Amino acid sequence: MTYRCLLQMALLLCFSTTALSSSYSLLRFQQRRSAAVCQKLLRQLPSTPQHCLEFRMHFQVPEEMKQAQQFRKEDAVLVMYEMLQQIFGILTRDFSSTGWSETIIEDLLVELYGQMNHLEPIQKEIMQKKNFTMGDTAVLHLKKYYFDLVQYLKSKEDNRCAWTVVRVQILMNFSFLKSLTGYLRD
Amino acid sequence: MLALLGATTLMLVAGRCVLPAASGEANLKPKNVEIHIIDDNFFLKWNSSSESVRNVTFSADYQILGTDNWKKLPGCQHISSNKCNFSSVELKNVFEKIELRIRAEEGNNTSTWYEVEPFVPFLEAQIGPPDVHLEAEDKAVILSISPPGTKDSIMWALDRSSFTYHVVIWKNSSSLEERTETVYPEDKIYKLSPEITYCLKVKAELRLQSRVGCYSPVYCINTTERHKVPSPENIQISADNQVYVLKWDYPYEHTTFQAQWLSAFLKKIPGKHSDKWKQIPSCENVTTTRCVFPRAVFSSGIYCVRVRASNGNGTSFWSEEKKFNAEMKTVILPPVISMRSTTDDSLCVSVGASEESENTPVNPLYPLIYEVIFWENTSNAERKVLEKRTDFTFPNLKPLTVYCVKARALIEDDRRNKGSNFSETVCEKTKPGNTSKTWLIAGICTILFSIPVVIYVVRVFLRCVKYVFFPSSKPPSSVDEYFSDQPLRNLLLSTSEEQTERCFIIENASIITEIEETNEIDEVHKEYSSQTSQDSGNYSNEDENSGVKISEEFLQQDSV
Repeated sequence: MTYRCLLQMALLLCFSTTALSSSYSLLRFQQRRSAAVCQKLLRQLPSTPQHCLEFRMHFQVPEEMKQAQQFRKEDAVLVMYEMLQQIFGILTRDFSSTGWSETIIEDLLVELYGQMNHLEPIQKEIMQKKNFTMGDTAVLHLKKYYFDLVQYLKSKEDNRCAWTVVRVQILMNFSFLKSLTGYLRD
Repeated sequence: MLALLGATTLMLVAGRCVLPAASGEANLKPKNVEIHIIDDNFFLKWNSSSESVRNVTFSADYQILGTDNWKKLPGCQHISSNKCNFSSVELKNVFEKIELRIRAEEGNNTSTWYEVEPFVPFLEAQIGPPDVHLEAEDKAVILSISPPGTKDSIMWALDRSSFTYHVVIWKNSSSLEERTETVYPEDKIYKLSPEITYCLKVKAELRLQSRVGCYSPVYCINTTERHKVPSPENIQISADNQVYVLKWDYPYEHTTFQAQWLSAFLKKIPGKHSDKWKQIPSCENVTTTRCVFPRAVFSSGIYCVRVRASNGNGTSFWSEEKKFNAEMKTVILPPVISMRSTTDDSLCVSVGASEESENTPVNPLYPLIYEVIFWENTSNAERKVLEKRTDFTFPNLKPLTVYCVKARALIEDDRRNKGSNFSETVCEKTKPGNTSKTWLIAGICTILFSIPVVIYVVRVFLRCVKYVFFPSSKPPSSVDEYFSDQPLRNLLLSTSEEQTERCFIIENASIITEIEETNEIDEVHKEYSSQTSQDSGNYSNEDENSGVKISEEFLQQDSV
């Protein structure tokens, strides 16, 4: 009797791990595709006009976003979710000075929301199980980076040049997001 | 002696008076200094060490960790009570570590600094109560929640769209029936009863940091009386080829309906979006409880849909908003399958996307795998295989047999989507394999070669049998030499014939004795020779024969 129970439990564990692992591979595919779509949409927005070159700003990229890092897949999910959330927040700001198409920005927001929606169940599970090593310092680094971007926009009163500078940063963010999807492996 | 005593006493007394004054500085230093941050409100609390009420004030400084630039903490200078509010400090960045120090002052004396452990304001901050605005319907309450902190909040500047809200709602009459729901900033709580007072409280949560805020104060509201025109219920959306079908339930007839949609991401952003709802084409003023609209209206994404009814009596409130994910409704078209027989008793199957699906951009969104069902035409035993490749082979099949195959496409690892329908069934017959031919030829050759072998073996066997059970009368060759004049045939035949002795009557006795002697000698000679012979069977015959031969010799002698 106990043997049968044990066997059933073992089988259940196997299936649940395979179920979770198979959802990671679908997630990887979806996130990668979504990031590519977002990059394509961003590139449709008009590129930097010449007179904005003086507005170039160096933003200190957080260590977590430097390419040399190795991520566990749980940490990759949390970093991705935070980045998507912050990019979503930035794009809800007033961009009327840029003359950018509202449809394109809306499509971007739809994609970002969709990506976050896909990540949410896995992110909830990771937070519950607490099997992530990403500490408060990582969160702070990411938040500080996005805070700098938002403060920059605020200080320039959301003008066109400031937005084009931020657009370049967001494009870089999506490249990094794509590389993060590589960690969503079983 | 007395003077000495007096002087010592005086000194002791003086010492006692002096000593408290010296330790007073240390006593002034504040204790148990704590920082409390709620949203953008910063508080500093402490305990003063001296118990007596004196003219003691406290002042604090701050600096960013790493810099060496202590600045006065605004709102915390010369405070006589035990706490101060330094919210007016303009922190450029709430994500950097801050150092604080505080000391007590009394007149010109100051205590030593009490240095507070460096901290990050963002990590120390508590999430405050959100601001809630309510509006009542007959069976629902509309919530408008503003994030904690002000609009210009520095603490939650990055997180305004990230908060999730938990509402606890109960009937004012009985606090037992509580309901907890997770809502968006602009949301509704449904399934309430009309004309009842409901009370609720809301708290905000930052899920990614596992931080939960304080509950708002309790708000109470009365639901209105039952509306004359009820709202539609049970909204369902299903995909059907190139269209979406929207259905709902409504108890009455002679009603017109109107359906609207909204991109779901807008729900995440605080603020009213009532102007962002758009009409669903071909779902305006429909009189049936369903409407059909083309799939192109919703590209991939998540949407909210709502419906309301109107008749002669007025217009209903909006129905419950139904959220639906356009991706999950993706209809995958069945694949096109073909099969051909190859040599080696196998069938090669090719699966491809149908021509129609080439045009719709839906399929390339997902990695597809194919569920292939393969069976022998005459039997019912089906083999189910999951294949990622589009060209694959079924090997080791029976030759000259008809096999059938059909396949459907599934989204890899996504069981929510049921996949496409099955393709058409394709049947194909396997070739008469080369292998069977070679087996046939090999079989025939084997048989041909084996026949003489078998015959040989049978012959040897029969010989043995004959030898054992039907021995031949043929003597060994060494004996045979002596009987070389006798034809072999006689000997062989003599076994089959009855032995007849040829007897001669001899009348002369003397001759008999001579002959007998010679006979004896001959017989002895014969005996020796017969003894040398191994064949005892022949021995008895031989005696007879020798007997016959002797008598014949005798006859010859006689005749001579």
